[in-house]
Amino acid sequence: MSDTIVLIGLFHESTQTADAIDQLYQMGIPEEKIVVMTGVPFPEQALGRHKEWIHLPYIVLAGALAGLLFGVFLSVVTPRLYPLTVGGRPVVAGPPAVIIIYVFTMMATIVSTFLGVVWEMGFPSFERKYYHKLTTSGHLSVLLECSPGQESKIIAVIEAHGGHHVHQPERMPI
Amino acid sequence: MSDLQAAHPEEHSPVPAGEEQETAHTQDEFRQRLLLEQTRDWEINQAVLQPMLRTGAGFWILAGVLAAVVAWGLYAWSYQIRWGFGVAGINRPVYWGIYIATFVFWVGISHAGTMISAVLRVFKADWRRPITRGAEAMTAFALMMAGLYPLIHLGRVWKFYWMIPYPNNRGMWPNFQSPLMWDMVAIFTYLIGSGLYLYLAMIPDMAMARDNTKNWRYQLYRLLALGWRGTEIEWHKLHRALSIFSIVIIPVFLSVHSIVSWDFAVTLQPRWHSTIFAPFFVIGAVYSGLAALATILVLVRWGMRLQGFLREEHFNALGKLVMVAGMAWLYMWFAGLIVEWYGNEPVISEMLHEEISGPLAPLFYLLLFCNLTPIVFLVFKKVRTTPVLLLVFTLMVNLGMYIERVLIIPGNLQRNYLPFNWGTYRPTWVEISVVAMTFAGFALLYLLFSRIFPYVPVWEIKEGRLRYTLRRIGRLLVPTAAEIE
Repeated sequence: MSDTIVLIGLFHESTQTADAIDQLYQMGIPEEKIVVMTGVPFPEQALGRHKEWIHLPYIVLAGALAGLLFGVFLSVVTPRLYPLTVGGRPVVAGPPAVIIIYVFTMMATIVSTFLGVVWEMGFPSFERKYYHKLTTSGHLSVLLECSPGQESKIIAVIEAHGGHHVHQPERMPI
Repeated sequence: MSDLQAAHPEEHSPVPAGEEQETAHTQDEFRQRLLLEQTRDWEINQAVLQPMLRTGAGFWILAGVLAAVVAWGLYAWSYQIRWGFGVAGINRPVYWGIYIATFVFWVGISHAGTMISAVLRVFKADWRRPITRGAEAMTAFALMMAGLYPLIHLGRVWKFYWMIPYPNNRGMWPNFQSPLMWDMVAIFTYLIGSGLYLYLAMIPDMAMARDNTKNWRYQLYRLLALGWRGTEIEWHKLHRALSIFSIVIIPVFLSVHSIVSWDFAVTLQPRWHSTIFAPFFVIGAVYSGLAALATILVLVRWGMRLQGFLREEHFNALGKLVMVAGMAWLYMWFAGLIVEWYGNEPVISEMLHEEISGPLAPLFYLLLFCNLTPIVFLVFKKVRTTPVLLLVFTLMVNLGMYIERVLIIPGNLQRNYLPFNWGTYRPTWVEISVVAMTFAGFALLYLLFSRIFPYVPVWEIKEGRLRYTLRRIGRLLVPTAAEIE
């Protein structure tokens, strides 16, 4: 038998949600055990949550560097392997190489941004998860993990701040 | 009363009785415009989802007609592949005809998507919210159509893979000094970028659609939502990624049309070999792209009954942008023309003569009429905010810009530095059919997109609602926006 249970509660309003989360902290529920799901992006820390560090800018920079190197390889190195000799013209010319290097740098930057954010979010992720479909209909869903002994107190806190539909959720396909 | 209080009497004088009614009306108008609290989130979801689910007879008839045109165009293309490129009207010295003119036109159309979405996102222009997805989709589909032309124009389309750099037993390698290679990689980059940008911003709305639909739609949206739940960290990362995308894609969109212009400008063809070509092409692209976006929004608003989202202020702002882009285009066009005219080079004088009073004159004057008239009329707010008028003037812009590309490419190629090598060009039924195929293909893709994916970015609209509140300044009730992005 598990020594923790999962609870979910829905809120209509962000201030009440933030107040409820503050009180949950005071009850000893650690921050990493609480997940807030919303259908609209709230400003960072609006719900009293910490700001999470992300690696995306570094992934993007690494991607841009890789693209730059690939552009150099294609426009400077490979023409020497397959030289196309045209009278009076260099095999590798500066201005066209700059264009190719630039375009490949930008392409790799774009692709690494996308792949980076998808990787950071752990997507795609189709396994069954705790979720409530009303989240995308304007409700703020607070999902938390606690010990069975805290259940009634937590339900009381959530309901005292306007929370509703408080229950132990089933993992659902999303 | 203290001295301080006496020195500062009540700042907000009571509203006179006669103005109360007007104030209430203004308040209602703002609340409706900003989708404030009387519209609930689930109502917004339904307002976006319901038009997607309704596909009446009109939709199927339109889709059928467009599909028929596409099928005819595919037949024409296959005819060209079967019988060779000789069935097209291009011949010495006009090697680039309406295929390449239409290619440039589509690349141009693709520019407004990024312009609207990325530039306005960077500058936090709030009015962008309901129209960004339509603009991004326009970019992606226009680029798909543009991307067909290098294949069509290749003639032997089955040899396309020779352009891909991979070790091969032919002992050949793509020539990266060729502008056509720059073109291919630039357009491919922009297509990838705009496609990913469109998709990334759509993930939260895929989750919303997943939560509100059944059957095949549920399966599709579930797949595309990638498991999105809307946790804080997901939103944070999405915001960061979109910010990076917005900044990165702006130089890409500028460079793509510059590179397309260098296809022409790096040749020694008179009137092409010009340093102004890159900015001239870019601004022309923005002009035609913005006009095309306005045209599409008017039609989609009418077809999907999205009057609640695509409102007067959006058309007003878009109309202003079209007008400003038109003025910039006019400036660039005249800056190029005056130098050519003053230079008095024999061949260029001949080419100008052909346009002003020769066989190209009807197209030239139609170009001027179609490109200049909208600039004059879009000055008036009434024109910008009346959808039918905006539709007429933006269609004129696109006709004008298409003619401009035709005059620049096959028009100019008819004359060159060697008079014995002059010629004329008439497009054949094959070329006209293939060009019609891409116009119908674009419309068909857009039509299907609008019925399969949420056309209005729901989460961005909801985010916009969070920002606004109404504030009284004197007797004026105004919306104020909070800095939350």
